[in-house]
Amino acid sequence: MKYFDPHIHMSSRTTDDYQAMAEAGIRAVVEPAFWMGQPRTNVGSFIDYFASLVGWERFRASQFGIAHYCAIGINSKEANNEGLAREAMEILPEFALKEGVVAIGEIGYDEMTQAEERIYQAQLQFAVDHDMVVMVHSPHRDKKNGVLRSIDVAREIGVPMHKLVIDHNNEETVEDVLSSGAWAAFTIYPNTKMGSERMVEVVRRYGPERIIVDSSADWGVSDPLSVPKTAYLMQKGGIDPKAIELTTWGNALEAYAQSGQIDRDELAKDPVIDQRQSYNDSSILRGQKPRVDKPVPN
Amino acid sequence: MVRELLQKLLEERLSDSGRAFWDKARAELGEGASGQAFAKLLALASRHARRQPIELTASELAAAEGALPGWSPRAWNRLELLRVNLILARPDLEEDRFAEDFESLFRFADEGETCALYRSLPLLPKGERFVWRAAEACRTNMLTVFEAVALDSPFPVNHFDDTAWHQLVIKALFLDLPLYRIAGLDSRMTPELTRMALDWAAERASAGRPFHMGLWLCLGPHEDQRIEDLIVSHWPSAEPSERWAMGLALARAERTDCLLEQLRREEDHAVREQLQRALDGAYDQEQFAPLFSDGHN
Repeated sequence: MKYFDPHIHMSSRTTDDYQAMAEAGIRAVVEPAFWMGQPRTNVGSFIDYFASLVGWERFRASQFGIAHYCAIGINSKEANNEGLAREAMEILPEFALKEGVVAIGEIGYDEMTQAEERIYQAQLQFAVDHDMVVMVHSPHRDKKNGVLRSIDVAREIGVPMHKLVIDHNNEETVEDVLSSGAWAAFTIYPNTKMGSERMVEVVRRYGPERIIVDSSADWGVSDPLSVPKTAYLMQKGGIDPKAIELTTWGNALEAYAQSGQIDRDELAKDPVIDQRQSYNDSSILRGQKPRVDKPVPN
Repeated sequence: MVRELLQKLLEERLSDSGRAFWDKARAELGEGASGQAFAKLLALASRHARRQPIELTASELAAAEGALPGWSPRAWNRLELLRVNLILARPDLEEDRFAEDFESLFRFADEGETCALYRSLPLLPKGERFVWRAAEACRTNMLTVFEAVALDSPFPVNHFDDTAWHQLVIKALFLDLPLYRIAGLDSRMTPELTRMALDWAAERASAGRPFHMGLWLCLGPHEDQRIEDLIVSHWPSAEPSERWAMGLALARAERTDCLLEQLRREEDHAVREQLQRALDGAYDQEQFAPLFSDGHN
C-alpha cells in the first residue's frame, strides 16, 4: 500500500519521522502553513516560513522519496494580530502561486472573531481569483458552529464546494460537511481529535466518498504514522480495500490534484532517492550509509 | 547569440499552453513588466512546463556549448529553460531596475525558481553586479541549487575572488560532484586549492573513509611533496578507475618521473593505456569525464 498524508507539518518533525513514514509507505504529503506554537512577531517570520515550505522542506522530503506539496495561508490564530496579518496578506501572493502549492490553507476560524473573518474572507477571495483549492481548519472550541460558518462564508465568496476541504472533522460535523459537497478530512490524533478506532467506524458508516484521513502531526504530541496505522485498523476491521485506498490515498489526490500542481505520472512511479543530496558539513545523514536509488517499500 | 539559441531550444519544446503563455509573457515583458508582475510570470511558468530533461540533440548541445566557453545547458530541465528565457526577455537587463528585481526574486523563490535564477547568471550582462548573490548560492544546503551555480557555468571562474573560488571547488569535492564540469577549473589551480584538497584527503584518510574522484582534479603543479606521497601510498589499494585518475593527477601536477614509474609497475592493460595518454599530454579536466557517472559524459 502507498499512502498520502494530506495534512502534516513536516517542518516540526525529525528525519527519523521521514524515515519511518517512507518505510510505512507514505509517498506524498501536503504541509499546510500554520502557526509556530507561539506567535510570530514580524512579517519576515512569515516570509522565511513560507519560503522554507516551498524550498528546504520540499528538498528534505525528497531525500526520503516523499513528494512534498504545501498549502500557503495565514492561520486563524495569527489573523487576530491585525497589523501583522495585513502585512502577511501582502506577501501571500508571492508564495501562493508557486510550483507544488496545492491549496490556500490552513485557514478558517479559531475564536470566530471579526479579525479572523476578515482574513479568512480575503484568502477565500484570493483562492477564487486564482482558481485554487482551499483547506479549512475547523476550530477546537464550538467546532460544529465553526464548520457551518466556514462553509457558508466560502460559499458566499464563490468557492466551488468540490474545491473546499474541511479538516479536523468528527462524528458531529461529518454529515453537514458531506451534504454541503465539500471534502471531509479527519485528523487522527492521540487524546484530542479522532482516534483510529473511531475513524474506522466513520468509514463503515458513511463510506469512502469525499472522506480523507490525515495526521496533522506537528510539534505537539501527534503521530506521523496515523494514516498507515488507520489503514491497518480499517483492514483488520473488514473495511473494503477500495474504501481504504480512497480514504488514505485516492481522495486526497483527487482533491488536491485539482490545483494542477500534482504530476500524477511522477507520483505513480517508484521514487528515486539520492541521499547523497546532502552536505558533509550540514548533513541530514550523519554517518549512516546513504541509500541510493532504493525505492520506498510499498 | 546565446539568447537566440535558448529561445530556439525553448520554442521547439513548448506545449500548446506553454506557447500561448510564452507569447503573452514575452509581450508583457517587452512592455516593461517588472516587480510582482515579473515574479508572477516566473511562478506561473510551472503551470506550462514540467521538470523534465530538455534532451538536447548532439548538434544542439554542440551549438550551445560553442556559444559561450565553459557554459552548457545539458543538465537543465524544461521549466528552467522557460524561466531563463523569461528572464532574458526583459529589455532592461543592464539597468538598475532589473538588478533590484533580480535580487528581490530570491527572497520569494521556491527551489525550482532559485535554480533557474542561478542558471541565468552567466547569461546576464554586467555579471559583476551579482557576485555576492552567486557566493550566497554556494552557502546553500540544497544540492540542486549548488549545482545550478557551480557546474557548467563560467560565472564563478570569471567573477569569484580566491576565497569564494576555493570554497566552491572544495565544496564540490566534499559533495562528490563531477568536478570536470566546473568551468575554468584548470585555469585556476592555485597552490592554496591544492593545499586544501590535500588537507581534505588527510582528514578522509584519518577517518578511514574513501576519497572522492574529484580529489584528483584539485592537485596542481605546485611544490608540495604531499602530492606524490599521497598518490604513491594510495596506489596499491586503489581501484583501476582511481589509478587512471591518479595518473592524470600526476601529469597535471607535473610529476612526470613519478608517472613513468607508476606506468612501469602498472599491470592492468586498460589503466596502462590511460597512463600513457596522460604522459602524451591528454590530462585536462575533460579527461576526467568518463570517471564520473553523472549522466552527462
